[in-house]
Amino acid sequence: MTPILEIKKLYKSFGGLLALNNISFNINRGEIIGLVGPNGAGKTTLFNCVAGIERPTEGQILFANRGRTISISGKKPEAVTALGIARTFQNIRLFDNLTVVDNVKIGRHCRTRSLFFGAVIRNKFQQAEEKEIAESANQFLEFAGLKGRGEEIASSMPYGDQRRLEIARALATEPCLLMLDEPAAGMNPQESRDLMDLIRRIRNKGITVLLIEHDMKVVMGVCERVVVINHGEWLAEGEPQDVQNNPKVIEAYLGTGAAGAA
Amino acid sequence: MGNLKLQNLTRGAKIRIGLLILTLILPFFPFVTDYMLHIAILIFLYMILALGLNIVPGFNGLLDLGYVGFYGIGAYTSGLLTYHFGLSYWVIIPLAFINGAFWGILLGAPTLRLTGDYFAIVTFGFSELVVLFLTNEIWLTRGPLGLPGIDVVSIDLTLFGGPKWEFVGELPYYYLAIVMVLVTVFVMYRIQDSRLGRAWFAIRDDEVAAVSCGINLLGYKVIAFAISAAFGAVGGSFFARWVTFLSPDMFKFWESFLILCMIVLGGMGNIWGVMIGALVLVSLSEVLRELLPLLGLPVGVRFLAFGLIMVLMMRYRPAGMMPIPAVAAKMRAGRVKRKKVKATVSMKQ
Ligand SMILES: Nc1ncnc2c1ncn2[C@@H]1O[C@H](COP(=O)(O)OP(=O)(O)OP(=O)(O)O)[C@@H](O)[C@H]1O
Ligand SMILES: [Mg+2]
Repeated sequence: MTPILEIKKLYKSFGGLLALNNISFNINRGEIIGLVGPNGAGKTTLFNCVAGIERPTEGQILFANRGRTISISGKKPEAVTALGIARTFQNIRLFDNLTVVDNVKIGRHCRTRSLFFGAVIRNKFQQAEEKEIAESANQFLEFAGLKGRGEEIASSMPYGDQRRLEIARALATEPCLLMLDEPAAGMNPQESRDLMDLIRRIRNKGITVLLIEHDMKVVMGVCERVVVINHGEWLAEGEPQDVQNNPKVIEAYLGTGAAGAA
Repeated sequence: MGNLKLQNLTRGAKIRIGLLILTLILPFFPFVTDYMLHIAILIFLYMILALGLNIVPGFNGLLDLGYVGFYGIGAYTSGLLTYHFGLSYWVIIPLAFINGAFWGILLGAPTLRLTGDYFAIVTFGFSELVVLFLTNEIWLTRGPLGLPGIDVVSIDLTLFGGPKWEFVGELPYYYLAIVMVLVTVFVMYRIQDSRLGRAWFAIRDDEVAAVSCGINLLGYKVIAFAISAAFGAVGGSFFARWVTFLSPDMFKFWESFLILCMIVLGGMGNIWGVMIGALVLVSLSEVLRELLPLLGLPVGVRFLAFGLIMVLMMRYRPAGMMPIPAVAAKMRAGRVKRKKVKATVSMKQ
């Protein structure tokens, strides 16, 4: 089976700094794969390159969807989302002044079409679409464990719930590949456990999950495979246990002085 | 239809209906003069303009300093089409709307890639260009001489064998303006509660998150700018057929600033707030116009007063008199927190 995402010899430089240095790995369809590495390793930069927020300096990103393989490196972020890749952000980025349900409704944007005349006239098409948007938004909220919270203002929710909301919004774009950037950051142990359960349920819907996470309990708990990068370079790849015991990985974490290396 | 009973309405709806009825019967109160009606029409006109402008800074979070350019384009579209071709106002409204949107797209498409302040500067330059064009292209606009003798609005049913009714005095314009405000408010509410409106709010709150939801920033900003411009132009088309005289200096930068002040004062992004902003600033402007000469001050001093109001607002109520719900909620939460802090502090003492 072809991998859902192939990253081939990816480079990204910021001025003199090589944030990604010849990174290559594959993501298989339907797996939960972890992306770990010490602070500043280039994990978020990799997300940004895949999502189209940053343009890779060199290299290819191939995305396989609906039987076709397309190169997405350098594509616009809205196009990448439309193709079926969604993501969350390390520093939560919600629409702060909107309600929870409106946040998720905005996630439906790329799967719906009505514009000005639809909005003003409210023709049959627009009404059907609005109904679909509202219903599915509530389903995604329920799925993420935020049932009945739709009318709250997004920014007034507790941290953990905001992370869930971001996931619900990303799911609303109907992705095949979901990229989560440190979703457990700032969560208490109970919330992390709920999150792991949520990630598994997402995968059971047939969505491939790429997960950046510093919390090793979460990585060990849900990931089937882990890719380690350090200083922008590919370091190791394999099953969580093997990677955790890999001397190179241990050295990378301890060598940079990062505490809590598992 | 059965639920349209009075007791079923929410308090807000009752207030709205009450206000509307009051506005509709206002001209029949004995103390209401033609001058007061004139001011009321001016308020309505500025409500339309402020609601139109609000789309750009209020819904999209972009600073637009050139709105008056579209107002001017609409006014001259209306004036010239009436002057040269005698077109009916009812035909002119959609034409002005389309022409406004056209210029909005023409200006917006290449410039809305610019961020924040740069975009604001471009819009400012545009409105100055419009004034220069209106002043210098004498063959078209008669330049500084102005465009006099524009026909009043009329309802012409002669085609169907009916009468022709011309708008004389302020009263018919008063009702026409009310209808136009109602239509504008209706459109704004519908947009606010739609996919288009949500896309704009998303852009306002976080552009990166918005693109990640599949929103094409440039596309939606251009749509916003075009619709905003279209409403500005419709306001202008009304203005031309109401005052029946146009000159380029009616569309100076000052107007853009005034309309922006209405939005900021009322509550950026809040439809009701914006209308109240228009009401307050137009009324205040008229009061000061009467009052200042009595105090021996030149009329221009009222600009100073506006400046002072803006400074005070920014200091004490930066979100305006009627902020959007989320901001209002945050402010409430902030107040509660402050109170709690104060309470704990005083308990410790
Ligand atoms: N826009 C940018 N401009 C310049 N340098 C950047 C930019 N974005 C990231 N970097 C640099 O690239 C490197 C990789 O950053 P990145 O955010 O990808 O790390 P990370 O692995 O996500 O780290 P963390 O675990 O702390 O989130 C860092 O040295 C960072 O300073
Ligand atoms: Mg990061």
